[in-house]
Amino acid sequence: MVKSKELLEDKPGKKVLLLANEAIARGVLEAGVRLVALYPGTPSSEIGNNLTFMAPHIPDFYFEFSTNEKVALEVAGAAAVAGVRSMMVCKGPGLNVAADPFFSLSYVGVRGGMVIVVADDPSMWSSQNENDSRYYALMGNMPMMEPADPIEAKSMLLEAYKFSEKLELPVLFRTTTRVNHTRAPVEFGKILSRPSKVEFEKEPFRFVPVPAVARLRHPWLLGQIEIARELSEKSPLNYAEGDGDLGIITSGVAYNYVIEAISTMKVKAEVLKLGITHPIPEKMITKFLSKHQQVLVVEELEPFLETHARRLAHLNKIDVDILGKEQGYFSRIYEYSPRIVMDALSKVTTCNTPINWEEMDKKAEKLPELPPRPPLLCAGCPHRATYYAIRTATRGKAIYPSDIGCYTLSIAPPLETADILFDMGSSITTACGIAEVTDQDVVATIGDSTFFASGLPGIANAVYNQHRIALVVLDNRTTAMTGHQPHPGTGVTGMQKEVPPLDIEEVCKGLGVKYTKTVEPFESMADLVAEVREMVKWTRENHSPAVLISKEPCALLTAADRRRAGEFPPKYYVDSEVCNACKRCLNRLSCPAMYMDSETEQAVIDEALCNLCGTCVSVCPQGAIKQEDA
Amino acid sequence: MTGNNSNTINVAITGVGGQGVLTLAEILAKAALQCDLNVRVGEIHGMAQRGGHVVCTVRIGVNAKGPIVDSGSAHVLVGFEPIETLREIQLVRKDGCVLMSSHVQYPVAVSMGKAEYPSHDEIIKRMKMFTDKIVEFDAMELAVKAGSTRALNMVMLGAIIGTGAVPISEDAAIDVVKEAFPKKFEKINVDATRFGLEHVKASL
Repeated sequence: MVKSKELLEDKPGKKVLLLANEAIARGVLEAGVRLVALYPGTPSSEIGNNLTFMAPHIPDFYFEFSTNEKVALEVAGAAAVAGVRSMMVCKGPGLNVAADPFFSLSYVGVRGGMVIVVADDPSMWSSQNENDSRYYALMGNMPMMEPADPIEAKSMLLEAYKFSEKLELPVLFRTTTRVNHTRAPVEFGKILSRPSKVEFEKEPFRFVPVPAVARLRHPWLLGQIEIARELSEKSPLNYAEGDGDLGIITSGVAYNYVIEAISTMKVKAEVLKLGITHPIPEKMITKFLSKHQQVLVVEELEPFLETHARRLAHLNKIDVDILGKEQGYFSRIYEYSPRIVMDALSKVTTCNTPINWEEMDKKAEKLPELPPRPPLLCAGCPHRATYYAIRTATRGKAIYPSDIGCYTLSIAPPLETADILFDMGSSITTACGIAEVTDQDVVATIGDSTFFASGLPGIANAVYNQHRIALVVLDNRTTAMTGHQPHPGTGVTGMQKEVPPLDIEEVCKGLGVKYTKTVEPFESMADLVAEVREMVKWTRENHSPAVLISKEPCALLTAADRRRAGEFPPKYYVDSEVCNACKRCLNRLSCPAMYMDSETEQAVIDEALCNLCGTCVSVCPQGAIKQEDA
Repeated sequence: MTGNNSNTINVAITGVGGQGVLTLAEILAKAALQCDLNVRVGEIHGMAQRGGHVVCTVRIGVNAKGPIVDSGSAHVLVGFEPIETLREIQLVRKDGCVLMSSHVQYPVAVSMGKAEYPSHDEIIKRMKMFTDKIVEFDAMELAVKAGSTRALNMVMLGAIIGTGAVPISEDAAIDVVKEAFPKKFEKINVDATRFGLEHVKASL
């Protein structure tokens, strides 16, 4: 909620409560970054959400929501090759999408400073996996930094640009959800200016990694990493603090939990906090291991530092007990907490945890099982109407490949229209695979932003290879799940400039799709069901892909527009004289604005939650759901 | 002794995505900053927000480093909805305070008849296994009285200040509320904060 405007203020010394993502957006200004390109993905989204509103007010600055992460990394990488400071931002799975240019970039290197911000998601609050992006730094030989909190997110970012320029290599800036989405007081620094334009100096035998060039670049890269290691040994971003027989090595958000745990339990320990986690300061760690008989390694997800520590202990023949995931002190899954660190400390020291958590857990286990409240499609969400129609038209019997976005929530009963999902754009391509080896009808769904991000190659594939798939594009005119960013179909750019939007139906026609139609899901449910039925029949008869675009803005955007205008359509209500308590609306739609009156067993619409879509009207066989007169 | 909270006041806020839990956490933290206190806020964004169960944390004090509040460590547990409060009851300290709005919002599983919403007595009985300090009131009614159901979170803000458990002055809280919203919603939100504050002060 911090206004992007506040992030623009030229007030060094001012302290503002910021998310790490907001601190990174501010850091872009303070580091004099010339270009930022990204595709939004939680938990990194607020970086772009702020930059897009800041961008038009920053001289000599360019920001774009690229169509996907691979595109973003190429745009930003080229800008840094040309000689300006640039940034690319993505969530963990986004870096997988950008993996191809990632590996080339470290071979060719950059002239201007470049930072790739990646946001991993331990506990998978909003992601399909919790893979540990730190291995990218190792595999691609790219220097890496890991901030522990919003304060470091900005201060370390400024160091990352200096580091990048010294080494002529991009820096991977690895964050996690509990860094990105923690708020802390952050002090503003000075704003740097940016160059307006630079001259691209040709150097093809560096920047075009044909085999002859790449063979020379690989040893260069390994040499740069050794230089980086020397810098890492001396950097104040890697430091030891405290005193004690026990040693603790940690990085990222886990550092906070370590500090809180040792101070609460009054454990005497020396803590080695690593800000640069590739290349690791080997001499510093070796010295640290030699000083202690026991060293606990505290890091979320994979045993990245732990394996390094074991390697160094072995290489240098150090007699030290390295305690971590390998012996079960810590888990490789889910995010940590101070309690997790305290539990481990109670096993390796004589200090006790401040609370008897085991007893507490037992007490909590005695609590009755509560009705679950998973996330679900909002009241008034147009996807609910579309999925209801898809399910009705196919009697729930088709296979429903899904994709990445709010609409994946259709996995839950009663919609149950998500059967397979790998990654962005996989709805179309998994549909191809299923259609080829089964006789079942296949109705895939993809969102508008995801369609542009990675749906297009799948469409070309389906057309050319003649896959009989039905595809419904859920076009809610925005990238809804990550906080309503624009995409090529919306007509607004990251610079907040109005441009001609790309039309999804035209794009499909251009790619050779013979059957395309656009419908509005709130117009008529009967027509919507008929459209889906017709499309599926067509794919069967023609053995080719068909595309139906279901176009209706996101309910949250519609609700905000109505609030701004102060104009609302008449309310919906259940006529209790007509309602026969069949509960069809409740059971088929699962709309959060509807509930059952426990006495009459009739459905009731909660006025405060209803977003006035009217889908329930057409679902009621009695005609009991009505709209008040205007 | 309690969890990770030496010299730190831990507030856990729970509710249903869309009720304004995040905004409350940020405004409470801003008020702490206004009082020159160190503060951390832990938020949940993205898919988890869509109408599902949400927990945010606000940690105030010099030793607050990370955003996490462990079981048995919250000085105040703020619940926007009864079962969402019960879902997080293990967070509260032995002598901690629960502030709960009694306004029920049925989960879809209950609306569909697939699960039963526990009785009020059952909810309170279970909570009392963890603490006796439970302040229950219909915050939705106070929000409506202030002028909008959307001011529910500011009623809860006032309620938190009203417990006296957080080192934030009433004036600092009201000042931050005034700054946080557009002018036309200022009165509603300030009134909502005052209603929550007065209600809890009177009931403690």
